[in-house]
Amino acid sequence: MVKYMRLPTALAVAFALVTPAVLPASVAADSGPIKIAVITDMSGVYAALAGKNAVAAVQMAVDDFGGSVLGRKLEVDAIDHRNNGPEAAAKAREAYDGGAELALDMTNSATALAVGGVALEKHKLAIVTGGGSSAITGAACNKYMYHYAYDTYALASSTGRNIARGGGKTWYGIVPDYAFGKAMITDFTNAIKPEGGTFIHTDLIPLGNTDFSSYLLAAKNAHPQVLGVLNAGADTVNTMKQVKQFGLDKEMKIAVGLLFLTDVDALPDVFAGSRITTSWYWNQDKAARAWADRFTKVVGGGVRPTDIQAADYSATTQWLKAVKAVGSVDADKVQPYLDGKQFDDFYVHAGEWRARDHRVTHEMYVVDVLPKEQIKEPHAWFKLVQVIPPSRAFRPESQSICKKDW
Amino acid sequence: MNLSPDYLVTQIFNGLVNGGFYALLALGLSIIFGMLRIVNFAHGAMYMLGAFVAYYGAQLFHLPFFAALVVAPIVVGAFGFALETTLLRRLYDLDPLYNLLFTFAAVLVIEDGMKLAAGALGSPYATPALLDGATNLGFTIYPTYRLFVIGVCVLVCAAVYVVIERSPLGARIRAATEKPELTRAFGIDTRRLVSGTFAFGVALAGFAGVLAAPNTNVTPSMGDSIIINTFAIVVIGGLGSILGSVTAGFALGVIAAVGAVVYPPISNTLIFIVMVLVILFRPTGLFGTAERSA
Amino acid sequence: MTLALIRGRRGLAAGAVLLACGLVLPFVPGVYIVFAIDLVCFALVAVAFDMLLGFTGLLSFGHALFWGGAGYVATIVIANGITSFPLAVLAGVAYACVLSLVVGALAVRRSGIFFAMITLAIAQIQYFVVFQLTDVTGGENGLPITTRGTFFGLSLANDFVYYYIALGALVLGTAFAVRVVTSPFGAVLAAMRENETRAKSVGYDTDRFKLAAFVMSGTLAGFAGTLYTLGNRFAGQDGVDWHTSGAIVIMTILGGIGTIYGPIVGAALYQSLDFFVSKTAIGDKTNLVMGLIFAIVILAARRGIVGEILHRVFDRAPRLVEDEDRPDVLVPDVSHEAI
Repeated sequence: MVKYMRLPTALAVAFALVTPAVLPASVAADSGPIKIAVITDMSGVYAALAGKNAVAAVQMAVDDFGGSVLGRKLEVDAIDHRNNGPEAAAKAREAYDGGAELALDMTNSATALAVGGVALEKHKLAIVTGGGSSAITGAACNKYMYHYAYDTYALASSTGRNIARGGGKTWYGIVPDYAFGKAMITDFTNAIKPEGGTFIHTDLIPLGNTDFSSYLLAAKNAHPQVLGVLNAGADTVNTMKQVKQFGLDKEMKIAVGLLFLTDVDALPDVFAGSRITTSWYWNQDKAARAWADRFTKVVGGGVRPTDIQAADYSATTQWLKAVKAVGSVDADKVQPYLDGKQFDDFYVHAGEWRARDHRVTHEMYVVDVLPKEQIKEPHAWFKLVQVIPPSRAFRPESQSICKKDW
Repeated sequence: MNLSPDYLVTQIFNGLVNGGFYALLALGLSIIFGMLRIVNFAHGAMYMLGAFVAYYGAQLFHLPFFAALVVAPIVVGAFGFALETTLLRRLYDLDPLYNLLFTFAAVLVIEDGMKLAAGALGSPYATPALLDGATNLGFTIYPTYRLFVIGVCVLVCAAVYVVIERSPLGARIRAATEKPELTRAFGIDTRRLVSGTFAFGVALAGFAGVLAAPNTNVTPSMGDSIIINTFAIVVIGGLGSILGSVTAGFALGVIAAVGAVVYPPISNTLIFIVMVLVILFRPTGLFGTAERSA
Repeated sequence: MTLALIRGRRGLAAGAVLLACGLVLPFVPGVYIVFAIDLVCFALVAVAFDMLLGFTGLLSFGHALFWGGAGYVATIVIANGITSFPLAVLAGVAYACVLSLVVGALAVRRSGIFFAMITLAIAQIQYFVVFQLTDVTGGENGLPITTRGTFFGLSLANDFVYYYIALGALVLGTAFAVRVVTSPFGAVLAAMRENETRAKSVGYDTDRFKLAAFVMSGTLAGFAGTLYTLGNRFAGQDGVDWHTSGAIVIMTILGGIGTIYGPIVGAALYQSLDFFVSKTAIGDKTNLVMGLIFAIVILAARRGIVGEILHRVFDRAPRLVEDEDRPDVLVPDVSHEAI
């Protein structure tokens, strides 16, 4: 009998070892601390763009607000979604159940969409700053999710129109054959059309491709005025490296769809000379610079904030103000307060929490990336070319496909 | 669409560049498999290490590109040698699938380790000044660096072929591959040959990594996408066949490059489709020999 | 040894212990319910994988084909308005079944490395297709759904309810796997694994048996995959990524190939490590940790956790044949009780 039980006991022991026994802090709904869950990429490709410095920015906002609201302490939780949708959703659920009232950041559209779904389920707010898919305020829109910083439509309409207006009428598109790429090419095509611009050719390039030489050669032979590099991440780097190799940047204007300050920090020579759109630049005006200087002091290392990190600070502050004004963290009370509200801060200019689809509209900025020799101080990569007002930057309300059910 | 001969030939040149990388990597992988019966999942990671040796060399020691072409293979080869003699060796008596699994584990460790050191964004590496710019080939103006890559790949592949198929050292390597005990009976130290061959195979990957650095984004995951394609190429060419790997590498590079502009949606799956067809209809690969199949 | 664990009363007792662990898992402090759901799903796919690797000796490096592919199909069904859980699961399972038949027919003709390569290559093709069909799959954004569908009228929104349904599925799947490997069919598989030529000479069509095992494994893996995506209300690219195929291999070997219950433990261990490490200070090093653990297991503890336990507990008698003399057999221990 004893011998018979040896094995099952061993199995039970083995199994017990694998289930950890960490006691969670049980949180009472109305009296414990108010938690903000910053769900971001802490270790992967977006870690520099958002990551731990985004968490620091949110903490700055909390500290600047006084560290508490409605008499309750504020807590900032850093959660790594590791660019994995289901993981982001699972951790968001856990965070909401554990007392988080706001999920923030969600850099990477898949995680944004996943967390948005959880926010709807739990009736709690989620503000997306990092993810860029227009679906967040389109097909996937919901009552509790807001899109704060940029989206693919805004990037396309700003960069596209600016370049087309400046004489870039014929475009050649390097477009990745997945959702982001398809959205970008649609939005760019529509953006340049009113200015008389067209894409003379587009290459829909499948995922997994690291060599763009074939397409760039075709582009070279087509002699467009503008090369639209509408991919993201490593693809953009590879494309741009090869653009420089083929000397394309000397023959045509290079428009990059999606680019952030930290990308240029990592690879300045690759991106020099391209034109992009950003939602904010740390050196764009006095207020921005003042905040950026404080940020740099807090995180150290001379690092300058990206627009996403600034967005995280701004969104936190605006939410806290709303909570204070409404007198409750209940999302069902905060959301109607936010809907339609107009505001300004160092990050958002001419801003509005658009009620129609929860797109937060504000000014966007078309900038050129300066080469190393021309920058006046470290990280001062951008030169402002044009300010785009919110009415032109974002998808007009009339064109929204959001099925508003709130 | 422009299908003029000049344009096509230039696209073929693009294909030869990619094919060159494939050939170098497939060559190393094939040699390792032929000799050691190891399917080196970590081959892509070695390629990545080569690129990073070039990067860190430049950052820390101002190592010029041409020096890196020599230093990186040595460093990566040494690393491979160490890995083989200390760890991989223990799995030789077992089912070969265990080395596949072990090298897979090694990929996770190496890539994640590098990500901690260098971050997941790219690390900059510029084209060497001497090879910058373009050359007028008559029918097109083509980046000089790419011509260099094609030339170097062809030379290295040819040199390796000559050594393995025609030199005494190569004869010993081939003997040790086909009949290890008999070779040992002749007094040849097969253990050293085995470790040396593994080191050489991954050194080739490291060399390819340096060549890739000016062209491609240098990131810890740069080996990820290329390793699976390399497997496919080696299978198509014939596991263990040098001629097969090199030919298949260049050929598929060209086919993929031309296919990319003729019908883009298929370009990423083309290699796998060809691989599946080869496995079904010519299992030993285009140049493989019967006893070498797994 | 492998079958010693799952046969007879010992098998039932071991199974009962695991079941008990499963029943109380959601109530263990620190365990979050959705994590528990994921754990159970991965345990099931690991069992499915073990049927193939441990008992048929075939290493598939593309099980994401079934896990991810079926998961997407089930999610697509619900996303398109057919909010019936059984139908969605059935659709996913059917996809996995058909796909495993096709892939298996291509792959089983070769063995060893080639088999692994074919499964990997076809899994990659599916991966790229998922990315390209953005209208159907959502592409890289993934496919979120708002409901898990209804289960004969019962809403599955409650996570605890869903967990126990998934647990039930795990029990059924494991029972199925046990039944298969302890059956005469399983005996033929064991014979093939030991000496395929001899099995063929006795008259068995080994390719047919391998195909059957592959289809069973793939279908069960697909079943697990549908439970996973519906449980998370989201189908993402991670499901069809070859790294997930690799993770499944790791889980199974970690637990102990050829033991059926071992992979369950292996999956639990892997998931726990992964989820909880990702929350700690070394959260950005999870791959490194996993890789190191896996490497150590391959070098020094090939039998996996449960396999090692079994070995210590049962294998004290001197063996007629040591596994060092059997380089072709992937499973390190072949039980003399097997047939």
